[in-house]
Amino acid sequence: MRLQLTWGDIAAKDITMLRRLRASALLPLSLFILSACTHAKKAEPANTLHIASPAKIKGLDPVQADDLYAGDEVSRPYEGLLQYHYLKRPYVLVPALAEALPIVSKDGKTYTFKIQKGILFQDDPCFKETGGKGRELTADDFVYSWKRLADPKNNSPGFWIFDGKVVGISDWHNAAQKAGTADYSKPIDGLKAIDRYTLQITLTQPSSQFLYFLAMPFTYVVPHEAAEFYGVEFANHPVGTGPYRLTESTPGSKYVWDRNPTFRMERYPSEGETGDQAAGYLADAGKTLPLNDRVVMTVYEESQPQWLSFMAGKLDLSGIPKDNYSQAVSASKEINPELARKGIRLVKSPGLDVTYEAFNMLDPVVGGMSPRAKMLRQAISLAMDHDPAIELFYNGRAISAEGPIPPGISGYDPAFKNPYRHENIARAKDLLAKAGYPDGKGLSPLVYLSTSSSTDRQLSELFSKMLANIGVTLDVRTSSWPEFTASIKQGKGQLWGMAWQADYPDAENFLQLLYSKNARPGPNDAAYSNPEFDRLYEKALTLPDGPQRTAIYQQMVKIAAEDAPWVFGVDRLIFDVVHPWTKNVKLNIFDHGWCKYVKIDPSLKK
Amino acid sequence: MISYILRKIVSTIPTLFGVTFLVFILFNIAGGDPALRIAGKYATAERIAEIRHQHGWDQSLPLQYTHFLKEIVTFDYGTSDVTHQPVRDMILGGIGPSLSLTVPAFFLTTLIAIVIGLLVAYFRGRWVDKVVVIGCVLGMSIPMLAYILFGQYFFAYRLGWFPIHGFEMGFPEQLYSVALPVIIWVMVSLGYDVRFYRTAVLEETNQDYVRTARAKGLAEPRVFLKHVLKNSMAPIITNVVIEIPLLIMGAFLLESFFGIPGIGGITIDALNNSDFQVLKAMTVLQSFLLIFGNTMTDVLYVWVDPRVKLS
Repeated sequence: MRLQLTWGDIAAKDITMLRRLRASALLPLSLFILSACTHAKKAEPANTLHIASPAKIKGLDPVQADDLYAGDEVSRPYEGLLQYHYLKRPYVLVPALAEALPIVSKDGKTYTFKIQKGILFQDDPCFKETGGKGRELTADDFVYSWKRLADPKNNSPGFWIFDGKVVGISDWHNAAQKAGTADYSKPIDGLKAIDRYTLQITLTQPSSQFLYFLAMPFTYVVPHEAAEFYGVEFANHPVGTGPYRLTESTPGSKYVWDRNPTFRMERYPSEGETGDQAAGYLADAGKTLPLNDRVVMTVYEESQPQWLSFMAGKLDLSGIPKDNYSQAVSASKEINPELARKGIRLVKSPGLDVTYEAFNMLDPVVGGMSPRAKMLRQAISLAMDHDPAIELFYNGRAISAEGPIPPGISGYDPAFKNPYRHENIARAKDLLAKAGYPDGKGLSPLVYLSTSSSTDRQLSELFSKMLANIGVTLDVRTSSWPEFTASIKQGKGQLWGMAWQADYPDAENFLQLLYSKNARPGPNDAAYSNPEFDRLYEKALTLPDGPQRTAIYQQMVKIAAEDAPWVFGVDRLIFDVVHPWTKNVKLNIFDHGWCKYVKIDPSLKK
Repeated sequence: MISYILRKIVSTIPTLFGVTFLVFILFNIAGGDPALRIAGKYATAERIAEIRHQHGWDQSLPLQYTHFLKEIVTFDYGTSDVTHQPVRDMILGGIGPSLSLTVPAFFLTTLIAIVIGLLVAYFRGRWVDKVVVIGCVLGMSIPMLAYILFGQYFFAYRLGWFPIHGFEMGFPEQLYSVALPVIIWVMVSLGYDVRFYRTAVLEETNQDYVRTARAKGLAEPRVFLKHVLKNSMAPIITNVVIEIPLLIMGAFLLESFFGIPGIGGITIDALNNSDFQVLKAMTVLQSFLLIFGNTMTDVLYVWVDPRVKLS
C-alpha cells in the first residue's frame, strides 16, 4: 500500500517531533561550523620552520634511524662526532662534537678523537643527580652509545657500520647474544675512552669509508641516564646535545622542536662552493645556529594535502608531487611563471641514487657468467630503454644511468657510456640469437617481480612492451612491498626493480651492491659474483680517495657493464619548491641536521 | 536475558579460536619476512638467524601459536619492531583520534539518514522520494577519494573554511580538525544509509497491522510515526549497533589524507611494513569487536522485538 500523504495531513504534534529530529541532526553540524569560525591558531614563534615528511617516523632512537626521515628527525636533538659541511660540494666532513678531524695512526687502523669540552646534554628529568640539569658530554658517552648499537636487544639495523670493522665489537655482540643480555661494563678493545675527552677507535683493517660512518645518525651520542630512565619509551623522549629539543609530539606523525637553550656555540659556515655567494647562501655567514626558533615537522602520507599546504603557505618548502609537477615546473625545467610571480623558487639537486632491474644471478637461465647468459642479459639491457620512463614516470627529473655510480658521487665518470644501454633493437636481437634464443624462441617467460603500487605496475607494463619487441615475454608478478622484498631475498624471481640511495658520498657504497660477499640476504640482491670485481673492490677499500682509487672504480664499472647483472635504470634529480621567506635551502642528502641552517624571514611572510 | 547473553558469549569462543588460528596461519604463510626488515638493508644470514631466535620465530608453530594466545589473553603484544613503541600504547593512542572522527561522523550520518529515510518513505513515489533516491544513487556512485580530493581542494584550500591537513587535541581545535573529514564521511555514507532506512520503513508500511490501523481511522501521520517507525526499529538497530564497535578501527583513507593519527593508519602502516606484532593485535581486536557487535545486535533485537524468542 502506498502512503498518499501531504504535509497538510501531518498533525502538529508529529511536525514538532520531526523538527526535533532534524534539529538534533543539525546540532553537531552547527558545532562543526561554529568551531571552524571560532578556531584560533596556537601562537608560535614568527620564525618557525614548517616542513613535511612523506612517511611516518619510526621513533627517535638514533640506533633505529635507518631511513632518511627518521635520520632527519633524530638529527634535531642528537649529534655525532662529525657532520657534513652544509654548503661545500663535493661533500666534505667537518667536526660536530669532535674538536677536529681525528688523528689517524700510520697503519690507518687507529682513530683518536678529541671531544669538545663543555658540551651539555639537554636538561631532562633523567639527570637525577643534577636535579634535571643536563650534564657534560664525555668520551664514555660515545662508548656507551656505540655499545647500544651493538646490543642485540636493540636489533639495530645500523650495527653493520661497526660489525667486523671495530676490534672486539662483534665478539661483544656475540657474547651478549649468547648470554641473553649485554654487559655494558665489559670493555671492547677497539673502543676506548682514553680520558674524559679522548676517544680511541681501533679498526680491524684500514677503511677509507669509516669516517663517513661517524656522521651517520646511527652513531649519535645518547646519555645512558636517558636510555635507562625511559626504557622502552626512550624512542619518544630524545635527550641529546643537538640544536633542538622536543616540546610536543604525536609519535610518528608530528614533532614540534624548539631551540635548545644549552646548545653549543655553532656558527653558519662562512664559505661554500662556487656560486654560493651569488645565490645568497652566505648571507648568514657566522651567525649563531640554529637560525630558527622552532621546527614543526608533520607527516603527509598523501601528496595532495602536502602540495595544497605548501601552496597555502602552511609549509615553507616541499617536494613536488608527480601529479602537481606541471603546476610547478615549466617545460624548460624552470619554476612555473605563476609560482615565480609569488617568489617561489625551484631548488634542484642530484638525488645520489640509482634505479636498476637486477637479474637473479643464481638463476639457471638469466644468471651465471656463461657467455650465453651474459648475452641474454645484454640483449635485455639493450631492449629495456629507460629514456621513455624518464618522461613518463619522473617528469624528466632523472637521467639515464650508465653504471652503478650516480653523478655527484666521487668516482662517477661522466664520460663513460655503457655499451649495453639505450634502445638498440637490432643489436639486442642479434645478441639474443647468439645466446640461442632467436626472436625469443626457446626462452620461457621471465618472472619479473614488482610491487603492486600503480607506478610499478605501469613500469612493468612498459618493460613488457619493450621486451616484446625482441620476442622476450615478462611474467609480471606483483605483491606488497614486504612480500616483494622477501621474494627477492629468497631468489624467487628472475628479474626485479630496485633502487639504492647513497648512505655516504663514496662510490664504494654503490659498488658494494655487487660485491659477492654481500650477496643476499645482504645488499647484493642479484647475488652477482665476479672474482676480478671482488679483488678490485677489496683493493679499493684500503685506498684513500685519489686517482688510483678512482681508476679502480672505473674499471669495476666497466666489468659490471659488461657482465650486466643489472639493467641500469636512472639517476634521479630532486626538485624542491621553496617560499620566498625561506632562506638557505640547499639540499644536503647526507647532512640530516640541515634544519638548523634554514632561516625563516617573517617580514617576507604575508 | 542474562542467561541468553551468557550463552551468546560462550558460543563466540569457538569462533574466536577459529579467528586466532586463521590469523596465525595467514601470517606464517603469506606476508613478508619481518626478520628481513628488522635486519635492514645490510642484512647478513647470521643477523637474520639471531633476530628469528630472539623473537621466537625459529620455534615450532604450535609453540608460537601458544605464545600468540598468551598475548591475546594478556593484551600484551610487546613492542612494535617498526615504530619501537609498545603495541598497547599505539592502539590506545590511536583510539582517541579515530573515535573523534568516526563517532560524530557515524551518529550524524545515522541521524540524518533516518530523518531523510523516514521522510522519503512518507512521500513514497512522489517527486521528493524520486529526487532523494536519484541523489542517493549518485552519491553512492562517487568514490570517497573523489569527495576527499574535491573537499580538501575546494573547502579547505580555496575557501579556507577548514584546515587542509592536521590533527589537534583539545576543544575546539579537535572538532575543527575533524570537521571536513566528518562531513565527507557523512556525504559518502548518506546514500547507502538513506536507501537502507527507506526500505526498512517501506517494508513495514506493507504489513497487515498498518491496514488495520488505517481501518480503525487513525490519522496517517500517527500510523506512520507511532506504528510503522516503531516496528522499523529492528533492522535500523541491527544496522547501527553492529557498526558501533568497529568505529574504533578508524577510517584509513580519511585519516591518511587529513593526517589524523588514528587506528586505520596504524593498521595500514603495519601491513606495509610487515609489523606482525601490530597486525596480530589489530586483526584480533577487529575480530573481537565484530563478534561483540554481532552479539550486541542479537541481544538488542530481542529487546526491541518481543516476537523474537530467547532461544
